[in-house]
Amino acid sequence: MTPTGSLANIRVILATDCGSTTTKAILIQPVDGVYRQTHRGEAPTTVEAPFADVTLGVINAVTEVQELAGRRLVNSEGRIIQPATANEGCDIYISTSSAGGGLQMMVAGVVREMTGESAKRAALGAGAIVMDVIASNDRRRPHEQIQRIRELRPDIILISGGVDGGTTTHVVQIAELIAPAKPRPRFGSEYTLPIIYAGNRDAAPLVQNVIKEGFALTVVDNLRPVLERENLGPARDAIHNLFLEHVMKHAPGYDKLMEWVDAPIMPTPGAVGNILQTIAGRQGVNVVGVDIGGATTDVFSVFDGTFNRTVSANLGMSYSIANVFAETGMANVLRWMPFDMDERQLRNRVKNKMIRPTTIPQTLEALVFEQAVAREALRLAYVQHKEFATTLKGVQQQRTVGDTFSQATSGQTIVDNMKLDLLVASGGVLSHAPRMHQTAMMLVDAFEPEGFTRLAKDSIFMMPHLGVLAQVHPQASLEVFDRDCLIHLGACIAPRGAGKAGRPCFRFSIRTGDREESGEMLYGDLRLVPLGERETAIVIIDPERGFDCGGGPGKRVEREVRGGTVGMILDARGRPLVVPTARAASREMVERWGAALGLYPELAPLLTRHS
Amino acid sequence: MSSSLKGKGSAKRSIAAAVACAALFFPALAAGQAPAPPSGLTARDHSWDNGTRIDLQWTASADEATLRGYVVRRRSTVETNFSVVDIVPAGTNALTVGSLNREAGHLFRVTALGANSLESTPAATTAPVFPTMEWFDGTRVWFLFTLVLLCGSVVAFIVLARRGMPLTLRRIAGLEAVDDAVGRATEMGRPCLFIPGINDMNEIQTIAGLTILSRVAKTAAEYDAKLEVPTSKSLVMTAARETMQTAFLTAGRPEAYNPDSVYYVTDEQFGYVAYVQGLMVREKPAACFYMGSFFAESLILAETGNAIGAIQIAGTAQPAQLPFFVAACDYTLIGEEFFAASAYLSGEPDQLGSLKGQDVGKLLVGAGILLGVLGATAAALTGSAFIESLVNFFTGTMLT
Repeated sequence: MTPTGSLANIRVILATDCGSTTTKAILIQPVDGVYRQTHRGEAPTTVEAPFADVTLGVINAVTEVQELAGRRLVNSEGRIIQPATANEGCDIYISTSSAGGGLQMMVAGVVREMTGESAKRAALGAGAIVMDVIASNDRRRPHEQIQRIRELRPDIILISGGVDGGTTTHVVQIAELIAPAKPRPRFGSEYTLPIIYAGNRDAAPLVQNVIKEGFALTVVDNLRPVLERENLGPARDAIHNLFLEHVMKHAPGYDKLMEWVDAPIMPTPGAVGNILQTIAGRQGVNVVGVDIGGATTDVFSVFDGTFNRTVSANLGMSYSIANVFAETGMANVLRWMPFDMDERQLRNRVKNKMIRPTTIPQTLEALVFEQAVAREALRLAYVQHKEFATTLKGVQQQRTVGDTFSQATSGQTIVDNMKLDLLVASGGVLSHAPRMHQTAMMLVDAFEPEGFTRLAKDSIFMMPHLGVLAQVHPQASLEVFDRDCLIHLGACIAPRGAGKAGRPCFRFSIRTGDREESGEMLYGDLRLVPLGERETAIVIIDPERGFDCGGGPGKRVEREVRGGTVGMILDARGRPLVVPTARAASREMVERWGAALGLYPELAPLLTRHS
Repeated sequence: MSSSLKGKGSAKRSIAAAVACAALFFPALAAGQAPAPPSGLTARDHSWDNGTRIDLQWTASADEATLRGYVVRRRSTVETNFSVVDIVPAGTNALTVGSLNREAGHLFRVTALGANSLESTPAATTAPVFPTMEWFDGTRVWFLFTLVLLCGSVVAFIVLARRGMPLTLRRIAGLEAVDDAVGRATEMGRPCLFIPGINDMNEIQTIAGLTILSRVAKTAAEYDAKLEVPTSKSLVMTAARETMQTAFLTAGRPEAYNPDSVYYVTDEQFGYVAYVQGLMVREKPAACFYMGSFFAESLILAETGNAIGAIQIAGTAQPAQLPFFVAACDYTLIGEEFFAASAYLSGEPDQLGSLKGQDVGKLLVGAGILLGVLGATAAALTGSAFIESLVNFFTGTMLT
């Protein structure tokens, strides 16, 4: 299970990601002295009957890579060839998995907003989907809690609660809810449900007394030893280990796959979080990543080294599309569309997408509609993420008399768009948008980045592979991430503040190698300045009073900006972004912004027809 | 038209005395013809007043052109002599006499005062007139207007809130942090401590403190945390017990309520403080709430709480104690925030509407003060009679 030889000897890396529907394989090799992703293949996942063996899909995907690369990777026995020689095999084989719904967990804590939230953070960070949080203050009666635990069929349960030396009674009460509830695991009748205890160390023996038979109890260090600090590492490691030892072993074919890999199989979202943390750490930047799927939307963030992940289980582009409408309302979706749509027609589109989740837009109208929905789904997912990614609650504050009128509470969000450096998009609607401009604009509209922000998209959803690779070969992982994984869309420059339409917002001056450009942006305007993928520019922004571009209100900011396939977006629409729901106003605005960025060049005749 | 006696009374009384003296001691000066008298003197109760004024009206003297003025005299039915009320200049034929006793009837005489200081024979009222008090004093119209504006805004906001209009209050960190503080105590397995001040139930701050106790107790009941309330007044203990019992019932955990957790210590200020301090050092509560009226003990308690690492939330309307609480506590409810807690925590439309209405009132008062200061300053700087008259109208009529 460990890579052979030193890192310098590793030349051929094979990575797979076993998704729910597709297994994707990539081959990484050194090209001109740096690691590059050279070939890619995919095949349907075979974890379900009639195949019921995940390795069949893996071999099929790897075989496609083999054919494309002209390098033999699978032997006659249907196994991956290791180690690599001149013409065949690979030095490292790694894999991630989200097949069968990924890792599903239930977590418990004493106070929902304190140890409950820390436990949730640990589970989400490890790549799990959190089905429910049981807590002393969740306003459910014990019988309701037991009923809920019985209904859930988690892969792993994580119990936390109490600081070290803190409450033991509450923790034991939680254990006493779980033990008689006897929740049944999703896979296999012989499967013993793993429970991780990561709470008050004084309560560990008491919990062991309560949770005895029918469970595999693992005790690890307290994930909240004091209220002022989280210690999520041991709990996350335990989740990964149990994911492999219990969950994966009972999933069809995974026992075989686990023997093949050179690094532990990671849950796909956990691997994505891993690569984003690595990038943020190595480059010293704040990163937000998003993966929008059919049923769920994952948002990852690393701000000042603190990693957070949320799964918005009810926001997606196909299965959950109706939930997006239910949460945001039809008016909020329609405000992003440059033309009117009949409500009946709109409802039909939504329902069609739900019952035929794999369909892709066939007309320009359908595309515009889908991208409008995506904006709202992303926006709502980011709002949820901001609410979750907070400073720790229940922490003592230190005050001076100067704080009399500015008493900030604990639990403030750590997500600060002004500090955001890199925004990475992945997921069908973002990755497969016909024009990169559309992807960039969806990101800007939904996330509302402030100041200077780089925009990028994961070309072929390679981040999971690189997340696992980062554990065994960080250099290779970073090189591939920067060169092949990310497609740099460009940069967004947007000052924070509000003003009146048509009044000056900021002045800009852009200097590249061969040209110099300057001008003024009026409030409400949007402008695209071409700046190629390998180009950089020195940009000076002089915001008007009341607008802040990172240097403080009205203060000049000078930065080097990297270009991309889209270019540099100068966004003077203000932050927070206000798009009215009144149709006439929003239609005019969105049409103007779309024209400024060239989002839908083919839309003009369509608009004429609609009008 | 009528003019008031106010402000001019003493000067006019002096003139009248001088006229009388002149007539008595310098008969030579009084030589000559007395002017023709005024006629048709009528006296009527002044309408829309508080029963202290009577309106006089008379027909001018035939010698009006040469007169110095008219002398108005009054006598109540319980008095024997007429006394001078006012001397009004020629051309005046009406006067409102004020500061009258409404228990007695009043008789009036008006004489014309010639250029030679001779007085005519008087025009007099024949029957006494009684000033009567109406249900509304017309001079208080502006007061009524202000009152309607202030109370109206309260009523209007209550009505709007009841109809479902969302009324937002700014976040009060100290109240938001109650869950945090009780949660901390729960996780740490330590009790919460609530001090309702050292005053009795006749102090409004104590009552406001008990309102917050209700919220703290409900949260403690939900979190299954221990809450201790030592009091320095027996009545406060009784009220706190009832508050806690209701809170536990509301939280759906009546069985968890323990009346012994609210107890009386002593009325002595420092005896009480010594007990609470000792309790804090021994039990090390993880959350301390100081809500009520505090004096010298504020810093003693808050410093002790800080030293044991508790989250501390204080609330008081004692300005002298606020800096101590702000410096030593995690969160402090300052003055009005403390009293607004009830509306903030309950979210009831009536309370929220009332709070919003009061805010409008405060805004009006603030605007009035600002306007008055600016007007007075402008009048003083420019010397403008117009601005001064506006300021006088504002201060003398609108605000009286």
